[in-house]
Amino acid sequence: KPECCCLSASTGNMDGEEFTMLDALNKVTACYRHLVIALGSTSDSQNLREELKKTRNKAQELAVANRTKLTALLKDKNISKDDRAEYERLWVLFTSSVELLEVDMKRSLEIGQDFPLKVPTRHLIQTGMTGSTTTVAARAMSVQNMKYEADANIDTVDLKELETEIAQVDQMMEEMEMKVQVAPWAVEAKQEAGAELKSTVSVGNSSVGVISICEEEPKETVEGETGLMKVFAGIIFTGVLLIAGILGYLVVNL
Amino acid sequence: MQDPKTGVKSQTQRLVITTIPHAITGEDIVAWIANRFKIDATEARAMGTMMVAFGYIYPLQDHKRLMLKPDTSLYRFQTPYFWPAQQWPVEDTDYAIYLAKRNIRKKGMLELYEQEQYNNLYKWMNHKWDFIVMQAKEQYRAGKERKKPDRVVFDCQERAYWVVHRPPPGTVSAMDYGHDRMVDPNMEEVKVCIMFTQQCIMRPRVKSSVSIGALVKYTTTYKEHDPFLHACLPSNPWLTDDVTYWTLNMPNVEIPTKMRVERWTFSFGELLMDPRGRADFRLFLKKEFSGENLAFWEACEDLKWGAAETMKEKAQQIYKTFLARGAPRWINIDGKTMDITVKGLAHPHRYVLDAAQTHIYMLMKKVSDLIPQSSRKLKRRRPSLSPIILRQQEEEQKAKLAASGPVDITQLCRFTAPVPHLAVYTGICEAQSTASPGFMTLPNSAACPSPISVAIDSTPASERRFDGNGGPSSSHFPSIAEASVSEEENQPPAPKSRMALSLSRLLRRGCNAPSVFASLSPKCAVASGGGKVQPLGVEPLAQPQPRRIANFFQIKVDIPPECRIYPIDSEDEEDDSPDTARGGVKEIICPWETVTKQEGTG
Repeated sequence: KPECCCLSASTGNMDGEEFTMLDALNKVTACYRHLVIALGSTSDSQNLREELKKTRNKAQELAVANRTKLTALLKDKNISKDDRAEYERLWVLFTSSVELLEVDMKRSLEIGQDFPLKVPTRHLIQTGMTGSTTTVAARAMSVQNMKYEADANIDTVDLKELETEIAQVDQMMEEMEMKVQVAPWAVEAKQEAGAELKSTVSVGNSSVGVISICEEEPKETVEGETGLMKVFAGIIFTGVLLIAGILGYLVVNL
Repeated sequence: MQDPKTGVKSQTQRLVITTIPHAITGEDIVAWIANRFKIDATEARAMGTMMVAFGYIYPLQDHKRLMLKPDTSLYRFQTPYFWPAQQWPVEDTDYAIYLAKRNIRKKGMLELYEQEQYNNLYKWMNHKWDFIVMQAKEQYRAGKERKKPDRVVFDCQERAYWVVHRPPPGTVSAMDYGHDRMVDPNMEEVKVCIMFTQQCIMRPRVKSSVSIGALVKYTTTYKEHDPFLHACLPSNPWLTDDVTYWTLNMPNVEIPTKMRVERWTFSFGELLMDPRGRADFRLFLKKEFSGENLAFWEACEDLKWGAAETMKEKAQQIYKTFLARGAPRWINIDGKTMDITVKGLAHPHRYVLDAAQTHIYMLMKKVSDLIPQSSRKLKRRRPSLSPIILRQQEEEQKAKLAASGPVDITQLCRFTAPVPHLAVYTGICEAQSTASPGFMTLPNSAACPSPISVAIDSTPASERRFDGNGGPSSSHFPSIAEASVSEEENQPPAPKSRMALSLSRLLRRGCNAPSVFASLSPKCAVASGGGKVQPLGVEPLAQPQPRRIANFFQIKVDIPPECRIYPIDSEDEEDDSPDTARGGVKEIICPWETVTKQEGTG
């Protein structure tokens, strides 16, 4: 259930295309982070490694595409000041995403090395997460279902590739800094504090219920119990009433 | 720990709708640790608490208190991503994203400290804020893709991570000491570092109040001598293209300008540095038969600044001329310094004579207090004096005064005309000015401390002779204010003569306390170049009896032709009483001074 990008509506006048691409990169980065957090835990698996790899590759493609686009835009001398400010803002968005991605890539390398899968006994941390991360990956790749076609030794092979890819990303970031002279601290955010609350009003009730579990565990259980008790008492009471009514009827009629 | 057979017993956490596996109780943890490491329960508990505090295990209930409770409270292992072991830097960006996510979840109802942090981060990470919002939303949505139990676990994990790394207020964080603990102090690099920092601590430092005070004093003293800051006479060559100023200030000009002479009073060093001043000083020393001191000092300077090849010969030459026993120009330095110097001359280098040079310098400095500053000349702004006559007069003065020994007074010549900023110098001047109400003091003197006035103040009252003119000495001090206020104006002669009178009295007073002055002279020297004080120029100064004050000094002023300076005979005026001020004056000064006195007192 991939959600449509409704973000562009909240960000005001924006060049749609760049923003879509950036948005995509942002999404993939967020999903990648989720996947990396699951690494080394009991929800780790071959599939997860493959998901990580695919997500990573997608992210890198998007990053390169974004970079080309934005560099071209920023190098153009004939843009207005407002436009330039806007592109600089996008640039800051872009660089932050790539930084996050790079950090996660490095961390995934370390954890991946610490928790190999092709060993007789896997020592994965029992974190309580047992489900798979397929849906997250699917969201990242913007597909309905993920297909897994990797070999069994993906974990070791992938790590080597990961190292090279990290080096590539590093280099790309350096180049970016050299070529594009944008002062990140000069950018002003368009969103104000608390902006995240606005477009996520449509959160849905189910998630609210779920999350509140985490916050109020003791209370929730107690409340649940008393609720049950109430229902139970109600049922018993109704039952007693019914029985009393029937008995009365019988007494009256007999 | 996780071994299903030998590890900590794993349980299931039951929430309302979901059950989440892999929960462990506190008591099980403690028991397992105690068993595994063969330690007792308290230690096991402490160890467990450390694990919790660092975030390897997090509590499911009461999540803010990171400690291990040995009861049935539940804990869970943290995912490796959130372990502190890898020492990944904890980024504020991540924290901001986490807070934004939490904001979404709690629909804006963050806890107080979280709210504060949020606002702070919004302020200083403002440039990234769009990214943070976007990322938070995306991560939130991605999280919703997972199944409910996993979602719960994920949220709990993240929350636990941030409790460890951004502890709520009032809690103690294990991260405070972090993983970068103390280094081994026995390591070589560390030892060097320790030594360096210890030396840094021991380095003597000057209080900024002191150094700033010195700076202020310097600028006040010199500010009028800087042609860029203050108009210079006759005119600033850079502005008017008239080079008279430079010609008048050539290094070896016949008659030094007034400003130049004023500079000599600032410090002995100034006098020496100015070639003209040094020449005059040399002349004086010759009279005093102590010219070899200056010659030695100059030779040492030559050694210090000279070429390296000739250094050795120069040093030897100097030794032969000045230091050796029976040398032709033997200088008088104390035994210890002589020892050091002679030893050093075995291996001569540039600074081998530094100790001796400093000694001689100090000696000359003291001497400069004694001398009649016949070398001081003031040039009138209106050059109406023939330089030859002036020179003759200078020579005369020098000769006479040299013959009469170190003696006092301040021959003051009053210049008519608007020369408002004639130099007035130092302590004695100030003292004089304190004594004379309405006495003009010039800025220079105002800047100088007044050790003399202090001394005068401290002389026993009995020694002070007042006549009706002055009040108690304390009342003199406010007169400085008046004096400085009135400095720009020309004073009519009459008040000046009165001033002169009281001045003379003051000087006499001063004369009565030679010891005081003696102790003061170094201060004087410090204060302004050997304390050459002449409240110059606008008043005639009564010529007080030259007591045999060793350290009292005087300035000879360049006087207009109508004024002649008479030598002062120290012996004759010892027994003056205050009343005979004028009488005492008679011998000394310029005719016009006498005239004005008569006017004033008449």
